[in-house]
Amino acid sequence: MSDPAPATTDRPGQVASATPPAPGRSRRRLSDRGLAVVFISPALLLLLGMSVFPLLWALYLSFTDYSATRGGPARFVGFGNYTAILTSAQVHQRALTTLIYVVGAVTLQTVLGFTIAYLISRRTHGRGLLTTLFLVPMMLSPVVVGLFWRFMLDAQFGVINSMLGSLGLGQVEWLTRQRTALVSLIMVDTWQWTPFIMLIALAGLTAVPRYLYEAASIDRASEWFRFRTITLPLVWPLLLIAVLFRAIEAFRLFDLVYILTSGGPGVSTETLSFHVYKVAFLGFNTGTASAYGILMVLVVIVLTQLYLRYLNKLKEG
Amino acid sequence: MRHPKRLGRTSVSGRKVQLATAAMLLVATTLVACGDGQDDDAKVSAPKAPATIPELTKDPLTLSFIWFDWPPAHALEDFANAEYKKERPNATIKVNTVPNANWHDAMFTQFAARKTDFDIAILDSQHIGEAVTNGNILDLTDFVKKNIDVKAYDPYLLAAYGQFPQAETGKRDENASLYGLPLLGDTWTMIYRKDLIGDKPPQTWDEMISVAAKCQANNPGVSGLAFHQANGSDAAAVTYNTVNGVYGGNLWDPKSRKIDGVLNDTAGHEAMDVLVNKMKPLTAKGSGNWFIDEVNASVAQGKSCIAFNWIAASGGLLDPKQSTLGTTREQILDKLGFATLPSQKTNLVPLGGMGMHVSAYSPTAKQAEALNFMQWFERADVQKKWAAAGGVPSRTDALESPEFLNAGPFNQVYTDSVPRMRDMWNVPEYARLVDIENTNVNAALNGAKKPKEALDDIAKEQQGVLDSSNRKGGGGL
Repeated sequence: MSDPAPATTDRPGQVASATPPAPGRSRRRLSDRGLAVVFISPALLLLLGMSVFPLLWALYLSFTDYSATRGGPARFVGFGNYTAILTSAQVHQRALTTLIYVVGAVTLQTVLGFTIAYLISRRTHGRGLLTTLFLVPMMLSPVVVGLFWRFMLDAQFGVINSMLGSLGLGQVEWLTRQRTALVSLIMVDTWQWTPFIMLIALAGLTAVPRYLYEAASIDRASEWFRFRTITLPLVWPLLLIAVLFRAIEAFRLFDLVYILTSGGPGVSTETLSFHVYKVAFLGFNTGTASAYGILMVLVVIVLTQLYLRYLNKLKEG
Repeated sequence: MRHPKRLGRTSVSGRKVQLATAAMLLVATTLVACGDGQDDDAKVSAPKAPATIPELTKDPLTLSFIWFDWPPAHALEDFANAEYKKERPNATIKVNTVPNANWHDAMFTQFAARKTDFDIAILDSQHIGEAVTNGNILDLTDFVKKNIDVKAYDPYLLAAYGQFPQAETGKRDENASLYGLPLLGDTWTMIYRKDLIGDKPPQTWDEMISVAAKCQANNPGVSGLAFHQANGSDAAAVTYNTVNGVYGGNLWDPKSRKIDGVLNDTAGHEAMDVLVNKMKPLTAKGSGNWFIDEVNASVAQGKSCIAFNWIAASGGLLDPKQSTLGTTREQILDKLGFATLPSQKTNLVPLGGMGMHVSAYSPTAKQAEALNFMQWFERADVQKKWAAAGGVPSRTDALESPEFLNAGPFNQVYTDSVPRMRDMWNVPEYARLVDIENTNVNAALNGAKKPKEALDDIAKEQQGVLDSSNRKGGGGL
């Protein structure tokens, strides 16, 4: 083993010392773990301040009769808010409306989204352009979408009724009749969010290995057989995740209802989120609204857990 | 061989310490937040404004208002910056506007935060109870006594825009506290097509309905009536309350706080029947979500024989750029007439308009400026100038002045309507009461509920709101 070469200095004839600095003079270095904590803590504090604390605060308020405007101390009411919400006929009605909306919108979006993705995936030319065009509605603000659909669906001056009129069909009261109002909401939501399902489905479809189709072709498998035994089973788990995202989004629908129908006619298109808004901001019943919000979060968590278990089983199978 | 220490894992005791620290942090933050809530205890009633205006600042200052977005809001900003600046050159007036549907929320969420970006809130008369009970606006009683000539007003206007508890009889209680001063008077006007139904407006409600039906039958493509039916703001509720008043009904018994059995008595049901079964069939298809703008659009495009709208929102009807009824104001006025509402069993009309209220959370210098502005605004000469600028004043001398009466064809309607006005409840529960009424009347008008069922539901649910103050949990459902 050779001696290390002496380090040189600017001044000729002088040899720099190769001994390490004395321990007393060195700065205390952060360990890897300390460094990790330093880097993570801003995000962690933000998460605690903006998400965890409000959630715990809402949980605390949900057991009180606190009102943000009335002030005064928050009186403890136990599970009073929760019992009132769970036994309220008004809440049951909004839950049913929300359920119909979620099932209707998500089913329609899944069928349409997957169909469009399947058709696009079979094209070789213009696939990118088509995909981009289909994605446009998803990029718009729901408020903007709501406003222009409100004009388009206007019974008197709207373009939809004008087109129906030119086909010899009668005027439809899209937003002011009980049956058509909810259908209109589902229709507008579908217009905006079908591209989301399409995008996920397209990702799944392009990931299916080509050799499976080639093998099926060699075996002279029919188109339907290939779709049923190769395409669908491989895309299905990804599609179910897209459905999960959409279902959660649809469950908390507020903006389109607010702009298009304001919950009407009467309360026939009031969703749970819209009702929470009214409880929170019309009467400023903060305690009740907090309990309502917590219950909605619980419903989403429980349903999501069940759904994820099903997904895992599917994966294992 | 030494294995490198795995990152991201700590010993069990270390993790426990971290968890305990996080929990303590959260508990501490929660306690701090709880402590803030308890400070509110002291503020449960409106703080008092000084009787005399404190010394005003000479520094540049912006006095901010909050209102909803409609022509009077822009007129106020222009008028105040042109006229008030002559007296207070360092003051700039800014009228912040929000969409009508967000108006209540925009003001009261800021009140809830105990911090407002406005100095003067323009409250609907019915919002006063909520703001006073929560201590959000200043008590102006002493200020008014010293600075405002209360005899210059119709007593009900002062009561409606400032008094709490409300003057249910339509007369001001001299001993009641005042929390606001009138900014803009308003009521409904009947807008009718002179070229289709003649120069003479219908005098009774029944006559109005039959004239509208005849006009609709004779003019295909034109509907007999246009009025507010939407379930947002107070649209459908004001419509029902107007018909209810005209047919001799009452909204409630304020002394016993009884709604169920009062609102849905015989007169109430008759009013609902008239509205849903006689008036609604004369409206345009799909008009079940119409409010101010849609009614105006229908009139301006010549699509309705008779319409009802707020006077303060009717100015645009005379603008040839927005109308198909004529190319000049005169041509439009040849076709459009404006009249007070027809009477039936009573001659009541709805009270609209708003008052000015000083935010309790505004800085002291701005509160002083706000009081000075209010004193200036209520002067006789300023009220006349406000009338000439397109506003609707409240002082009787201004209402009867040529400046006001000649400023618009509907202004005489307002002056004639003042003694006939009736307001809704201005109790703290107003926002919920009006929502219940709006949604149920809207449901009845759009076939989602039968008229009788809708009115009974309104009475029952509103009574529930008034009676629920002692309920343990679930308030607001």
